[in-house]
Amino acid sequence: MSDEEHHFESKADAGASKTYPQQAGTIRKNGYIVIKGRPCKVVEVSTSKTGKHGHAKCHFVAIDIFTSKKLEDIVPSSHNCDVPHVNRTDYQLIDISEDGFVSLLTDNGSTKDDLRLPTDDALLTQIKEGFAEGKDLVVSVMSAMGEEQINALKDIGPK
Amino acid sequence: MAMNTGAADLAQLQATMQAIEVACHAMQMHVNPAAAEATIVSLRESRRPYQACQFIIENSQMANARFQAAGIIRHAALREWGLLEADVRRGLVSFCLCFIMKHATLPDGYVLVKVASLGAQLLKRGWLDFTAAEKEAFFIQVKQAVSGVHGLDVQFVGISFLESLVSEFSPTTSSAMGRPREFHEQCRISLEQDYMKGLYSWVQHAAFNVSNRITEADSEIPEIKVCSAALHLMLQILNWDFQSKKAGENSKRGLDVFCDGKQESNSLRRFECTLVQPGPEWRDVLISSGHVGWLLNFYTALRKKFSCEGYWLDCPLAVSARKLIVQFCTLTGAIFPSDSGHMQRQHLLQLLAGIVQWMEPPDAVSDAIKSGKSESELLDGCRALLSLATVTSPLIFDELLKSLRPYGTLTLLSAVMCEVFKDLMTNHTEEDTWSSEARDILLDTWIVLLMQLDASGHNHSLPAEGISAAADLFAVIVESELKAASESAFNDDDEHDYLQASVTAMDERLSSYALIARAAIGSAIPLLTKLFSERIMRLHQGRGISNPTETLEELYSLLLITGHVLADEGQGETPLVPKEIKSHYANVLEMDKHPVIMLSGSIIKFAEQSLDPVVRTSFFSPRLMEAVVWFLARWSLTYLMPSEESVEHRSSYENCNDALLRSKHPTNALFSFSGENDRGKIVLDIIIRISLSTLVSYPGEKDLQALTCYQLLHGLVKRKSIITHLVTLDSWRDLANAFANERVILSLNAAHQRSLAQTLTVSACGMKTPESSNEYIRSLTSHMTAYLVELSSKNDLKAIAQQPDIILLVSCLLERLRGVARASEPRVQNAIYQMGFSVMNPVLTFLQTYKDESVVVYLLLKFVTDWVEGQIIYLEAQETAAVVEFCMRLLQLYSAHNIGKISVSLSNSLRTADADKYKDLRALLQLLSNLCSKDLVDFASEPIEAYGTNISQVVYTGLHIIAPLITPELLKYPKLCHSYFSLLSHLLEVYPEIIEQLSVEAFSHILGTLDFGLHHQDVEAVDLCLRAVKALASHHYKDRGAGKIGLGSHATSYNDPNGNFHESVLSRLLRSLMQLLLFEDYSTELVSSAADALLPLILCEQSVYQKLASELIERQTNPVFRFRLRNGFQSLTTSNNLSSTLDRINYQRFRKNLHSFIEDVWGFLHIV
Repeated sequence: MSDEEHHFESKADAGASKTYPQQAGTIRKNGYIVIKGRPCKVVEVSTSKTGKHGHAKCHFVAIDIFTSKKLEDIVPSSHNCDVPHVNRTDYQLIDISEDGFVSLLTDNGSTKDDLRLPTDDALLTQIKEGFAEGKDLVVSVMSAMGEEQINALKDIGPK
Repeated sequence: MAMNTGAADLAQLQATMQAIEVACHAMQMHVNPAAAEATIVSLRESRRPYQACQFIIENSQMANARFQAAGIIRHAALREWGLLEADVRRGLVSFCLCFIMKHATLPDGYVLVKVASLGAQLLKRGWLDFTAAEKEAFFIQVKQAVSGVHGLDVQFVGISFLESLVSEFSPTTSSAMGRPREFHEQCRISLEQDYMKGLYSWVQHAAFNVSNRITEADSEIPEIKVCSAALHLMLQILNWDFQSKKAGENSKRGLDVFCDGKQESNSLRRFECTLVQPGPEWRDVLISSGHVGWLLNFYTALRKKFSCEGYWLDCPLAVSARKLIVQFCTLTGAIFPSDSGHMQRQHLLQLLAGIVQWMEPPDAVSDAIKSGKSESELLDGCRALLSLATVTSPLIFDELLKSLRPYGTLTLLSAVMCEVFKDLMTNHTEEDTWSSEARDILLDTWIVLLMQLDASGHNHSLPAEGISAAADLFAVIVESELKAASESAFNDDDEHDYLQASVTAMDERLSSYALIARAAIGSAIPLLTKLFSERIMRLHQGRGISNPTETLEELYSLLLITGHVLADEGQGETPLVPKEIKSHYANVLEMDKHPVIMLSGSIIKFAEQSLDPVVRTSFFSPRLMEAVVWFLARWSLTYLMPSEESVEHRSSYENCNDALLRSKHPTNALFSFSGENDRGKIVLDIIIRISLSTLVSYPGEKDLQALTCYQLLHGLVKRKSIITHLVTLDSWRDLANAFANERVILSLNAAHQRSLAQTLTVSACGMKTPESSNEYIRSLTSHMTAYLVELSSKNDLKAIAQQPDIILLVSCLLERLRGVARASEPRVQNAIYQMGFSVMNPVLTFLQTYKDESVVVYLLLKFVTDWVEGQIIYLEAQETAAVVEFCMRLLQLYSAHNIGKISVSLSNSLRTADADKYKDLRALLQLLSNLCSKDLVDFASEPIEAYGTNISQVVYTGLHIIAPLITPELLKYPKLCHSYFSLLSHLLEVYPEIIEQLSVEAFSHILGTLDFGLHHQDVEAVDLCLRAVKALASHHYKDRGAGKIGLGSHATSYNDPNGNFHESVLSRLLRSLMQLLLFEDYSTELVSSAADALLPLILCEQSVYQKLASELIERQTNPVFRFRLRNGFQSLTTSNNLSSTLDRINYQRFRKNLHSFIEDVWGFLHIV
């Protein structure tokens, strides 16, 4: 067990990479996967064989994390799939502009103004109402493969 | 209704009839059915509608109206029976009888059936009221009809009346009459004792008389209808649940041969075959009268007429006759005299002589069926064989046919079955063919026979001829299975789900094949060996030339069959070598010639070839490997290094058989192949190397790896004798090394990695010294903990942690640590503690970093929970302090991330937040319960308080932290609800004193959940809440009595500075509980625990209680109710000498008081 360092060395400097290869058999339900170039969340995995004495293959049903579109793919279990690097960052909400953009406070004190309000109705209402009531809102921004979107909301302050 | 006739107005009867007819017509046409139904209901509910209904039945031209009228009589008569005069009752029954006799030719048969069944029901309803003479009168009328003196139609009607009567008196088919069970039971016994045999002989005569005319006629004649009804009734009577059956089960006088050990041995049967056991008084009717002979002759005569018009193999008459014959095969019990089974043998022989004609010669019969003949006769023949097997022992079963033929019944059974399998081979793809049904029945027959051999305990075996029959059969079975396998080899597994479902069915089938093989073990094992080596040879010869798939699939089935034949499943126990194998090979001394060893050896040798990469890629497909691993797992449980005890047990078992000397050897022969010696170690080594290769060389084959991890490896490390050798093997060290260092093992399914970690940890106990065990665990885990520590201390952790490869790695390592933690044992406790201790900080860091990755969070919580569970009771005070502090920080961190978070995700399909949270919280509650257990069981050398740890404090703090996360929505998950409330009630019962230290918000939250729990649907949850309330209130009451503060500020009502009134918690609970008890629906089993909670509450909050009671009394407007309620409240707190102490006796008194109070007032409080 001497060369463990070597095996478990993480690609800490490969931060630029947007996706990582991972064996199809290890991707589980609720994990992420790239299908047809889109980052998706897996909602269903089933396995079958290619003929009785063939090898196992995985059948994925997944949902695009940004557009909520359903996508499917079949991959041999031993092959690699691309898994997107999904990042979540929390920002405090400063302002909502009239054209549907939000203004967020970053960790280093500057602002981030390039994000739109989410399209999901429930989330949208929560944000707008909370903001109107003057609550301190923290939004969680999900980013993957060069796209970003607000995907969750946390209310930290009192009314 | 004779007495009313005079008064009755004909015109009015006519009018009623018309109204009913109109209503019936409307219902049929579906015009305004509600109104039509109302008309019928009004007549049904009116007082004594009998005359009108009888008028309708006799005069209406409309069959449906007559039918409805009969229904109305039934309804009204059952309702008013107790009020009717004796002659009215009698009149109703005789009306029915007369009507059906008089109108026997009525074209609308269903009206006759309805009236006949009405008559039967009324007769039963009055069965205990009518005098014997009255009943006699009814029966004479029926008997005359059945005898045929009034013609065939009346005869038929008479028989169908009896059919209704018998089914009405049989408890399983009787109709509801609103009478107690005892009534039905009395009727049943009375009919059986006084009439049943008589009824049987009437129909017997009726059938006998018409049968002559049927055999003489050469076309369809009306007698057929009567005859098949008579046969049907006889069958029905024989199916009756005879009293003497129960008596017979207790006293097996003189008939041991026939009923010995049957009851338990029949558990495997899929085809129910009810035994017919009438008492000895039936002997003259069923046996001595030549009844069976007549029946067989009659059927033989019928068979000759199948070519005539109106007769065929499946005509109702033939079907009933065959059914009755099969039924007679199951006749057993006290009906036969105690002549050591002689008479029963004669009876069965007679039947068998008739039945064999249906099946012989098997090949011709099978050919005839293939060319279009109906299979029902053959199937009935199979059923008859099953019945015969059920009532006889295997020896007698076989002997039966020998007096008729040069061979025994077993040979016939085997011959028929071979034909069946041949047919299955030609069209195995179709489901539900006659042959598959016949196969199932005949397999059951074998099981019934062979299980009896098994249960009898002696070294009985089948007669020699039977053994060779079983051998032939097994050969055909294997042939057909192999053929099916090779033909299905190229089928694509599209119906994967369907196959999963049929696995159990297949397993059951294979077990019965194994029973047959073991009956002829001497030829079965060599056969399997031969087939196996043929397949392997074919594989090698065709290598690179032909597609091996068919052979692979054949090997797959062969491995499954062989596994079943050689070893039993164990079901958690250690299975022994099957006794057929042991006793049959008792004389084989040399290991090389022991057939079982040869077979096992060749399979293991074949499996070993999978280690060669080239051979592996050409032959060992994942599916074949699954069978190999399955076989090795099953085989090694029985044969590999059997533990000392079972070896001893074996020889002591054989001592009983006076064959000690001889039998020592076979065990030894088997033992020297795979016992605890060098050869055994070689086999073990091969198995381990094969396991490693399935884990490493079959990437992505989850099913195969699951079999390897859960069945094979788990099975091996379960046995002490194996693990001591395991840890000395290089191959095991290779496995541990691969686990630690091979990247490919990280691609295994996470659950498999956990299982593998657990397996490796368990094996540590096989090391010679505790030090080496601990050292082994350390070397197994150090790389994982080191990596986690290193990763968690990286500066850029936040950036890299979200990378998919890092997430995967972290989750795999956590799963592995969890697997190690689950294998905690005293011997390796220290190393596992160190492992957990070293990752405490990383765990907290990851909990922070991965707060949005619910999967990782859950794994972290599960790891900590499992680790604490395995460790807590062994920890020393200082260690406990560290663990507890860690757990508190974990809880706080988790809570901080999750409180106040409105989780809204993008779309509904992504919304799993609730389920995630639920799983997390369950893990946390589990963690708290595990911590609690430290107070109950503690192996530490000094009390934990020495380091300032107070478990109650800890758990309360924990509860304080997670209580706000437990929302009523989450409590809808039953498991979470249950674990939450059991923890809560445990805490309040054991440490109520801590409550006062909780903040107002935390306490009111707990109270809120308690209140929610009180109104829960689940009785158990409510009960737990009531226990918690009791604990709270009684603590407060006792503490106050002792001059202490009790629940402190929580228990006082006050007005806050804003003028809002804050009610004391106890009075809130009192109000809520009273509301529940008086006005809501709850299970009565809760009243006792509610009383236990209510008493201390009342004692604590006397004034609130008084106010509540008087409010409730004031609310009653009805003076009677008000009076009763006042009295009820009065006696609730005063009767039974209730005092104001909280001791056991007082609790009991209050329980009684509350029960009677509730009984008294609940009803009227609910009406208002």
